Amino acid sequence: MKVQIPIGPQHPALKEPISLRMTVDGEVITDADLRLGYNHRGVEKLAEEKTFIQNIYLTERICGICSHSHATTFVQGTERLMEIEAPKRGQYIRYLVSELERIHSHLLWLGVAGHEAGFDSFFMYTWRDREIVMDLLEMISGNRVHYAINTVGGVRRDLDDTQITKILEGMVTLRKRSEYYLMIGANEPTFTARLANVGYLSKEDAIALCAVGPTSRASDVTRDVRKDDPYGVYAEVPFEVCTSDLCDVLGRTVVRIKELLQSYNMIEFLLKNLPPGPVNVRAPRRAKPGEVVSLYEAPRGENIHYIKSNGTDKPERLKVRAPTLANYAATIKMLKKGFIADIPLIFAAIDPCICCAERTVELVDTRSGEERIVRFSDLRRAAEVRYKNVTRKGNAVWPL
Amino acid sequence: MAVIRTLLYLLVYPGLLFLFVYSTFCEWFDRKVYARLQNRMGPTHTGKWGLLQPVADFIKLMSKEDIVPDLADKRLFNALPVFGLAIVSAAAMLLPVWNFDLAVPGPTSFAGDIIVVLYMLSLPTLIFFLAGWASTSFFSTIGATRVLTMLFGYEVPLFLSVLSPALLAGSWRLAEIAHFYQQKPLLILPNLLGFVVALIAVQAKLERTPFDIPHAETEVVGGTFTEYSGKKLAFFRLMTDIEMVVSAGLLAAVFLAGFPGGALLGFANFVVKTLFIIFLLSLMRALTSRIRVDQVVSFAWKYLAPLAVLQLLIVILIKGFLS
Amino acid sequence: MKIAAFLPELLRHLFKKPATVDYPFKKLEVPKGFRGTPFLHPELCIVCKACERDCPAEAIEITAVNEAEKLFRMVIHNDRCIHCAQCLDSCPTTPVKAMDMDDKFEIAAFDRHALKAEWEYVRAVQKPKAPAAPAV
Repeated sequence: MKVQIPIGPQHPALKEPISLRMTVDGEVITDADLRLGYNHRGVEKLAEEKTFIQNIYLTERICGICSHSHATTFVQGTERLMEIEAPKRGQYIRYLVSELERIHSHLLWLGVAGHEAGFDSFFMYTWRDREIVMDLLEMISGNRVHYAINTVGGVRRDLDDTQITKILEGMVTLRKRSEYYLMIGANEPTFTARLANVGYLSKEDAIALCAVGPTSRASDVTRDVRKDDPYGVYAEVPFEVCTSDLCDVLGRTVVRIKELLQSYNMIEFLLKNLPPGPVNVRAPRRAKPGEVVSLYEAPRGENIHYIKSNGTDKPERLKVRAPTLANYAATIKMLKKGFIADIPLIFAAIDPCICCAERTVELVDTRSGEERIVRFSDLRRAAEVRYKNVTRKGNAVWPL
Repeated sequence: MAVIRTLLYLLVYPGLLFLFVYSTFCEWFDRKVYARLQNRMGPTHTGKWGLLQPVADFIKLMSKEDIVPDLADKRLFNALPVFGLAIVSAAAMLLPVWNFDLAVPGPTSFAGDIIVVLYMLSLPTLIFFLAGWASTSFFSTIGATRVLTMLFGYEVPLFLSVLSPALLAGSWRLAEIAHFYQQKPLLILPNLLGFVVALIAVQAKLERTPFDIPHAETEVVGGTFTEYSGKKLAFFRLMTDIEMVVSAGLLAAVFLAGFPGGALLGFANFVVKTLFIIFLLSLMRALTSRIRVDQVVSFAWKYLAPLAVLQLLIVILIKGFLS
Repeated sequence: MKIAAFLPELLRHLFKKPATVDYPFKKLEVPKGFRGTPFLHPELCIVCKACERDCPAEAIEITAVNEAEKLFRMVIHNDRCIHCAQCLDSCPTTPVKAMDMDDKFEIAAFDRHALKAEWEYVRAVQKPKAPAAPAV
């Protein structure tokens, strides 16, 4: 018997509203339908009304967990448009905060995976260790979330020696705890029974469906923007791209824990080799006309910002392609043939950051193939006309 | 006079009031141990050390609005929480704490009462199934089917492992089994395998991690309890608490040599032994993650049932040696 | 694969102090440089309006009360403020900035309008920079 079960928009498994309508046959999922748009806030339109400096804070608030990723991608693009380059010390501090953010995001994900699997003790322990990173970030930048350490032309604050010592001590503690979690993740039998062979995504599928980040790296695709197209200081910092060939949720867990260990090494390298000097240069108010595409490896995958400027102090167009958007197609492939009990885990394994992924879409007319951007007021008027004449029936099924 | 005494027996001690107080105390103990194992505080501010937190939760739930879904079977929906509470409270009457006079089989201690207790512990599972089924919402139906699927897994190992010490003691009366092991404490040791199997099966019966699939919050919202709210939910939660006390009491009576020592000392024994078993159950809850319902059934039939049968064989061999 | 790999760690935690702070009965310490609410040192402000221009949330409002007497009023709308401290960075006065940040983070109120702070002040005169000391 085919039944349609809705997960979302409101559901305890989801941190943000998204609607997954699954067709199930007993406990096996046969089809999945993904509906987006519940978290749309109009960030791209608002960015056209604010100056470049104000946009740093706006792009930061696209997401809470990967806030520094969006701000840094934007600032990297703006600096290229203005043809200035941040001084070395500023760049080192900027990417130090990037790696600290990667650590905090992966520890958060480990806790969420534990909670979705029912392993609450693991969740409590990883989040307790995440507090170490949050306190370090508060010490460096003044706030635990939305660090706002970037400015056009470098960073706003400098690091002094007591802060550097505290960061290094924090890394020692965290390294010990992460190695313990690697052992637990691989050895606790009930946990691995939930994670193994769940959400299988083969290597060919990962490449064909454009999966990014740890989702694709767990399917043995060696793709990392920091190695393929190094930006900032990543050409100088030694690290390895972490992959796993398990192709399932357990592989993604292992990849993220390995990335944690790599980040600890990178932070220690950055701190030991911190060059002296100024931390920012003076940036002009206006950007020369042009367009730029800025890439960045966020904790969830490849983050792309496209900025177009026209000579004024406000950007003409900002387009954000967050990594979770690229992983949606792979998610639908993974959900088919899975069990209902595995839905939260499969969905959590791509590390969804739905608020990053809600941007404007274009409407394509299927019959004539022409594209048009529809104004919201026109859509509203069309909807009012349609629903005035429709009789109300309970439990209406969504037309596909 | 006898009527008043019976009424006090049923309503105050060891009746509803005592069960209410003791089961909320056990829930507090479970939550505090679970929190301390996870490096957190647990309930802290309601009452000294948070002792009144489960009572506060109960009172809060009683005061909330009661919503019944349109399509639900109203009489069944409304009656089930009360039935459940009545069944587990009646099962609690049969524990050999407050009826230790061996010579006099009374209405609460008679030959065969271990079977009655086990039967009364299976009924709540059926009630959960009916509660989920009568709710007619999608998530409740999934939760209800999962409850029954799990029942096929753990029921047989539970019965086998709890009945093994009874076989060794040669009686189906809880008070006599407890008395037997009090006379010969060394015979508790061969039953340890059964104790472990029974602990795991009881954890599955109480629907706690790793077996809390029927009401797994992140998967099926509330499972069987999705549509329940207000007073009915309060009764269901009280029912699960009392079920925990009854199961712990049953395990302590059968595997840990009961509660010797008369009225006061026996009661102290009861508290200590049930809290020990609840500590072990909380430890199991903190230790593992949830497993899928098909994995529960395969785990139960691949590991628990053979171990329970092994325990039965050990008991038969020892009985042969002793006689 | 070990059964109960987690067990020794769990039991060790039974005897450790909990990691949770008993807030609000015990307060938390914030580090130096914490970004709390912004406020003004009115005697140093030269009314260049850089903070008003750069604020992403339009939370600073500077109006002239009386041009002739150089009397200005600044209102900081703390209900709109996003605590980014860009106003501090944009403020050009030296050696001490006119905009400053305190470390208060418990600023909840029942009425949004109770969170506004106002100052009325006379525009300060920017002191001319001292001539550079001759190199020795």
